[in-house]
Amino acid sequence: MANARASLIIVTITVFVLLIVMYTVFNYHNYLLLSLGIIGCVMMLFFIRFEMKSIKTREIVILALLIAIAAVARVPFAGLPSVQPTSFVIITVGLVFGAESGFLVGALAAIVSNMFLGQGPWTPWQMFAWGTMGMSAGLLRQFLGMGKLWILNSFGFIWGFIFGWMMNLWIVFSNMHNFTWEFLVGIYVSSFYHDLAHAISNVIFISLFSVSWIRILNRFKKKHGLLEDSTLKPSIAYDHSGK
Amino acid sequence: MLTLAMYFNHPIFLVTILFLLILVNISHDRGKDLRKWLPTLSIMSTLIILINPFLVSRGTTILFYFRGKQVTLEAFMYGITMALFIAIILVVFISFNLILNGNRFLYIFSKILPRIALMIMMAIRLVPLMKRRLDEIGDVQRLRGMSMTVGDFKTRVRNGMLRVQILLTWSLEEAIHVTNSMKARGYGTEGKKSSYTPYFMDKRDWVWLFVLAGLMMLCFYGGRLGYGKMIIYPELGPWQFFWIDWIVFCSMFIITSFPLFIEGREKIRWKLSI
Repeated sequence: MANARASLIIVTITVFVLLIVMYTVFNYHNYLLLSLGIIGCVMMLFFIRFEMKSIKTREIVILALLIAIAAVARVPFAGLPSVQPTSFVIITVGLVFGAESGFLVGALAAIVSNMFLGQGPWTPWQMFAWGTMGMSAGLLRQFLGMGKLWILNSFGFIWGFIFGWMMNLWIVFSNMHNFTWEFLVGIYVSSFYHDLAHAISNVIFISLFSVSWIRILNRFKKKHGLLEDSTLKPSIAYDHSGK
Repeated sequence: MLTLAMYFNHPIFLVTILFLLILVNISHDRGKDLRKWLPTLSIMSTLIILINPFLVSRGTTILFYFRGKQVTLEAFMYGITMALFIAIILVVFISFNLILNGNRFLYIFSKILPRIALMIMMAIRLVPLMKRRLDEIGDVQRLRGMSMTVGDFKTRVRNGMLRVQILLTWSLEEAIHVTNSMKARGYGTEGKKSSYTPYFMDKRDWVWLFVLAGLMMLCFYGGRLGYGKMIIYPELGPWQFFWIDWIVFCSMFIITSFPLFIEGREKIRWKLSI
């Protein structure tokens, strides 16, 4: 089994290199396909790392449950346009369970929620954007005093915009033949209000619920010994948060 | 099919592909899903066709001037091909959603990424359960006077998120029960387990795969030589087909309508055997 995984890594890297070679050597510029290929290769490496790791069964189940909750959390907010707590759930998971879990929950929540809302060429972009959101939350939890609410808030606010900018890229890449700078600026300007709503709703959710969600997940993590990072020191900031 | 659509940009090619794909879609579920998407699809296409000529002023054949900017025939044509292209992508994905049910999904991905596939399947199964629980929680919360529909924005958001939080605490504990039951059935133990898969490649399937791959190569080769494509910028190219265009067109036609052939043959056999 380990052999198969190793060859999978080699295949992924080869495809990545071939894509770049194809782009530079041949005069065949299909940017949408190219961008999707590169995103796929990058995410594949994360997935393979997860497959190779030794992990408890209960950790798989917990992650699946968190993915389902992140995907379903949109439902009660159907009446409030452009308010969706999926990003909040993903950030919280990244903060509590670490970078890798954050990435997985983010990326897979995109697939799962799109199973019900409709897949499309935007799915890989969404996977990547939410995945990196969860991952950055997990990576940054050690630094910068992420325990402070205002820092977390600004983190969520910034990510609201970055997510929108990443999602705009798929429209840009699928229209690459048509590319002008006005077109690019036009797309980013037209998505501004949507991104702002996303950023503000992140701030609202984080300021209202981050303390209690982190407490719930931390308690559960301790109780069952889940997803402990042996390489990283446990985040002290959250052990007594909310008391 | 998708790559074909990306490869060719001759409007006649694109229209044919779109038409065939819609037929394929209808053969899946009589176009039920397609009808749901139809408004989005048509609005998007019309918007692209209308907006593109006014945003892009490349091209030489000027139709008229709009606020000092030239509106060209080329940009108009480009908008049409673009809209067709996006419509094709959407229709392919609708078919894709219909065809790729859970069993097949797990079958494809469990070979490469078994854990990820299991997690996705589990999450997909949990979503309807979570929805049902959210409804139950919502009923109780309504009785307690915490509503999502009245009140100012902040209280509505708070009440909504409180439901999700209740769902979280409710379901986390149960995940442990699921784990125990998985362990009791032998998940994660060493040693090989056999499983039944209802999908396998026949000799017939290989032959057809080979034929389709050959036709695909033909299409790509033709496309490389510039057939099946129309020059749009800087000046609109001629409409006519050369005979190699027809060959490329036919092979593309066969590839795209392949699902229709198979479905149709099955239908005829079914009817005749009664």
